Amino acid sequence: MNRERRKYFLSLAVSILLGLLIGALIMLATGHSPLEGYGALLSGAFGSRRGWGNTLYKTFQLCITGLATAIASSAGIFNVGGEGQMYLGALASSYLGARLAGVSPWIALPVCFLAAILSGALYAWIPAVLKVKLKINEVITTILMNSIAIFFCSYMANGPLKTLERGVNSGTDAIDKAFRFTRLIPGSNLSETVFYIAAISLFVWYLMSRTATGYEMRLTGQNERFSRFIGLKAGALGIGGMLISGAMCGALGMFECFALQNRFKPDFSSEFYFDGMLVAMIMRYKPLGIILMSFFFGALKMGAISMQSSTGISSELILIIQSVIIFLMAAEEGFLRRLQERRLHRQSIVKEG
Amino acid sequence: MDLSSIFNVGTLLNTFNTATIVILAGLGCLMTAQAGMMNIGIDGMMTAGAFAAAVGSWYFGSWGMGLVCALLAGLIFGLFYGVMVIRYKSDEFIIGVALNIFAVALTTFILRTVLKQSGSFHPASGAVNTLPYFSLGEIGGTAVNISVMVPLSWLLVALCAVMLYRTPAGFWLRAAGEHPDSLRSAGRNPEKMKYVGALSCGLLCGLSGAYLSLGYLSTFTENMSAERGYVAVACVIFGRSHPVFVFLAALLFGFIDAAGMRMQGLVDPTLTATFPYVGTILMMVFLALRQQAKKKAKA
Repeated sequence: MNRERRKYFLSLAVSILLGLLIGALIMLATGHSPLEGYGALLSGAFGSRRGWGNTLYKTFQLCITGLATAIASSAGIFNVGGEGQMYLGALASSYLGARLAGVSPWIALPVCFLAAILSGALYAWIPAVLKVKLKINEVITTILMNSIAIFFCSYMANGPLKTLERGVNSGTDAIDKAFRFTRLIPGSNLSETVFYIAAISLFVWYLMSRTATGYEMRLTGQNERFSRFIGLKAGALGIGGMLISGAMCGALGMFECFALQNRFKPDFSSEFYFDGMLVAMIMRYKPLGIILMSFFFGALKMGAISMQSSTGISSELILIIQSVIIFLMAAEEGFLRRLQERRLHRQSIVKEG
Repeated sequence: MDLSSIFNVGTLLNTFNTATIVILAGLGCLMTAQAGMMNIGIDGMMTAGAFAAAVGSWYFGSWGMGLVCALLAGLIFGLFYGVMVIRYKSDEFIIGVALNIFAVALTTFILRTVLKQSGSFHPASGAVNTLPYFSLGEIGGTAVNISVMVPLSWLLVALCAVMLYRTPAGFWLRAAGEHPDSLRSAGRNPEKMKYVGALSCGLLCGLSGAYLSLGYLSTFTENMSAERGYVAVACVIFGRSHPVFVFLAALLFGFIDAAGMRMQGLVDPTLTATFPYVGTILMMVFLALRQQAKKKAKA
């Protein structure tokens, strides 16, 4: 292990520990016992078969969303719009999943999947082109496009595409039973989709860290002018990264609806994309790191939900801890540099004196 | 379709009411932009301000204290942003995005865990005192009120413009953004001026948040900024960081929002809710296309 990497692991470990410590302090400050809180979190994440299933599913979900953030970021575009891309993918595939009822799953499922990744990719293509051709900041466009997509999809699910089925307040027609994914652990969210998510994640990891294209993307992300100078198509690489990112989000939208919701519902996601984005930011867009740390953050996330119901500590605590970790990691380099400067300064004083 | 149902006094008032949120946040954002920092985190500063205003106003039983709490919250967030970006040279976009997530998480956490409420803040005893307003009588059968923050925001636009372009402090602030090294050789500390930008951004965003929860609406609701902070950033880009142009861009946004609300009889309200966001993106595209055309004409 080289020095750079060791330093990174050390600062990551320290940041995570500090983040958890701050979480404990917040629990204390709000009159809860941190031991009880984190205990409830652990038993929620691993205490039952159902808990294990949910934690594992969250791990895969964080994997695919985290890698979606990472591949676009590695090519220099910060995709904050995965939530919207996921909504469109979910709506398009669920609509087809209901309309194609009766068709063989071998034909229908690939069609639905294609619809999901195409709508996700297309929606990611817009901000990517605006960024590459017109230099319009992608953070702003993607986040605004999230709101547009979510409003649009809930309009569709409550309006033109609303199901006539009784007992369904808002949502499209049910997806044909033959197309649904079966759950691996009954009662939990873990379903067959994890195999597909694993395959997609492996593909993206391979693309990012084992191919020339991945390397060229990273060059572009790190220094666009340099990559242009050595003859790379910087714009195309950036747009390509965004297309893959959007396609991944669209695919996740389909998996959520086909495995868990059985139809498109406007509230199917509770900001799933942002959870993965945070993991990617913490891991500095390193694909292997994201895959490995997804388990840790997946357990935190799912455990927090049962912590909330058993101790009354809101699960938002995990978001606070995660953003604190990001702050610490982001400031780490500057902080260490200042420490070093101060040390050098002191040494020079000692020498002169 | 009757056009007077869209272009009437009510729409005009709604335009001003909605625009004020973006005007105040936009002024904050442009103070950092002028000092050479792109602050994506104003959305979070607004959320923090809105929360502090509502809770402060309820706890102390006066809107004045609510305002003070909002300003304090803004100041803390502004200082934090400054320390992270200026002192530790962290990536502005990462800090901004994380700040927004942090602010929503923190306010929601306190609301749910400490105040034992979820969704929005409705205290069991006592009330959230809202900012004073002017009554403009009745128009079309409904009483029309304008919060004091609306004219105050216009005043602040003028103040910011004068401060930035007519005072030495404003000159230094702009120099800290454009030519920090020249400023340093002129004997001024550019980092200090950047802090001035970050802190005034926090104050103005706190004010915007206070207006959100004590003027525009009458209490705090979870995630209440609804991405308007990002709209404000877009307005700052569109208005090229000049207070007056940012003000005009914010008014345009307010108008699209208000006109969309008026069209709710014709178009589904969930669909009209997308108008201001679509409008903002189109605004940015329009500006970028014009700039590109200008560049081509020059070359």
